[in-house]
Amino acid sequence: MKYVIIGASAAGINAAKTLRELDSSNEIVIISKDNNVYSRCMLHHVISGNRDLEKIAFEDKDFFSKYNIRWVKGIEVIDISTDKKEVILENDKIEKYDKLLIATGASSFIPPVKNLREAKGVYSLRNYDDVLNIEEGIKKSKKAVILGAGLVGIDAAIGLMERGVKLSIVEMANRILPLQLDQKGADRYQKLFRTKDIDIYTSVRLEEVILKEGGFVDKVKLSDGTLLECDMIVVAAGVRPNVGFIKDEHIKIDKGIVIDKNCRTTLTDVYAAGDVTFTAPIWPIAVKQGIAAAYNMYGKEKLFDDTFALRNSMNFLGLESVSLGVVEAPYSRYTIDIIETKDVYKKIIHKDGIVYGAILIGDIDYCGVLHQLIKYKINISNINKNIFKIDYSDFFSIKQDGQYKYEAL
Amino acid sequence: MKRIMINKDLCSACLNCYMACMAEHNKNGKSVFDVDLEDIENEGRNYITIDKEGKPVPIFCRHCDEPECVNTCMSGAMTKDKKTGIVSYNKEKCASCFMCVMSCPYGVLKPDSKSKTVVVKCDMCDGREIPRCVENCPTGAIYLEEVDC
Repeated sequence: MKYVIIGASAAGINAAKTLRELDSSNEIVIISKDNNVYSRCMLHHVISGNRDLEKIAFEDKDFFSKYNIRWVKGIEVIDISTDKKEVILENDKIEKYDKLLIATGASSFIPPVKNLREAKGVYSLRNYDDVLNIEEGIKKSKKAVILGAGLVGIDAAIGLMERGVKLSIVEMANRILPLQLDQKGADRYQKLFRTKDIDIYTSVRLEEVILKEGGFVDKVKLSDGTLLECDMIVVAAGVRPNVGFIKDEHIKIDKGIVIDKNCRTTLTDVYAAGDVTFTAPIWPIAVKQGIAAAYNMYGKEKLFDDTFALRNSMNFLGLESVSLGVVEAPYSRYTIDIIETKDVYKKIIHKDGIVYGAILIGDIDYCGVLHQLIKYKINISNINKNIFKIDYSDFFSIKQDGQYKYEAL
Repeated sequence: MKRIMINKDLCSACLNCYMACMAEHNKNGKSVFDVDLEDIENEGRNYITIDKEGKPVPIFCRHCDEPECVNTCMSGAMTKDKKTGIVSYNKEKCASCFMCVMSCPYGVLKPDSKSKTVVVKCDMCDGREIPRCVENCPTGAIYLEEVDC
């Protein structure tokens, strides 16, 4: 038995580790385009100068030797020959497999805006190479436009903020972090960003990039006619799964690789996990899919059923927050409970004992219970307590081995 | 592994466990006399809360077999040692994203009150034979037991 994993990030690494824990003897190979194992969620800390490549690693240096995994790094996979059960690498080498996991992740999407794809001085923030490119860029650049105020766009702003670059953030929605926060929540962060001299443009689209000589970025034109001078653009407009190398139509691809609850693709002995499946591009889902895929590749059935995607924790400019479920009530028959003080904003949206959404800013203590209530629609109508004070004591239940559980699940 | 077991019916909310935890993790010294109750830098890692019936309930880190805090940690700060069973937190590695706080199904975790950069997490007193909280529980509401994991 030989296991081959393509990709060395959250899903791939966790799959390999789990496989080794299950199977002490068989060969495990990881093939990755990346030369290093690092957490993409921390790339902005490298730009800011707070961390280096070593400090954004999420596994120890001795990971591959410790788990006895062969690592083929810095090499792209260009094809899979599924009938021969071979993976073909860009250097024409092949790697045979008995069980294959595709965990190739996703890439930044550059929208088809006039001149954006052609312009020089346009960056994304996804890979370590992007950091190196940005690093090179800010040697000369003085004014940057960040396209998109989602989590990656805001991360980019945090990274660049202290680097002497004047920042403008452009967002299509009417507020920053529109998927994570409501207006009041976003306002708290927008206020903080403005104290850092960061300009925020909301409810506008990028219409065109105006170039100067040599094809370099000169200005961006927004949909309301605003012209912003800049010599750098960081695009944070979402990601697309890395599926380009898959030519065999037996592996069904929709938006990403289609998988079942065991992380199997539509082709026997081929599994997929992480962002390449387009389930939801968040770290915990990639990790858990990687682990589930490993169990199933090994032959021990494990279901992946944690697809709840509406969960994010944020910590920008010293203000921490958590967003769970919906940020606005879908219509008026919901109850909305709010706490608003100088430092804290909390909102819980619920109806008939089921919590549908919550925003917590400035106080996120012990909020994992709320996550559970929303994810599993656990009914709280019999709990006669202030909704903000509900905690695990109200569900307390213990297994034989001392672990906690939820009776309702 | 050894797990701190809970018999909540015996808990009288005396908070001896909480005080013991503060003392054990106090940078000013490990005696209870060193504990300054007004020092927000020093906080207990597990806690007692009041349930819907008005009864006290100990909420203590389970060092879960399949820990959500570890699965969601993107920095490698939160790790599960398969041999000892302990889920450890390394504050040097932590990037303060607080995914673990959001993901602990039982609401055991929180950011520290002072700096809001570190996660307040039980470390089973870092190798101490009997965790200080267990040692100081006068009712038997928390006790140590060897369990399979």
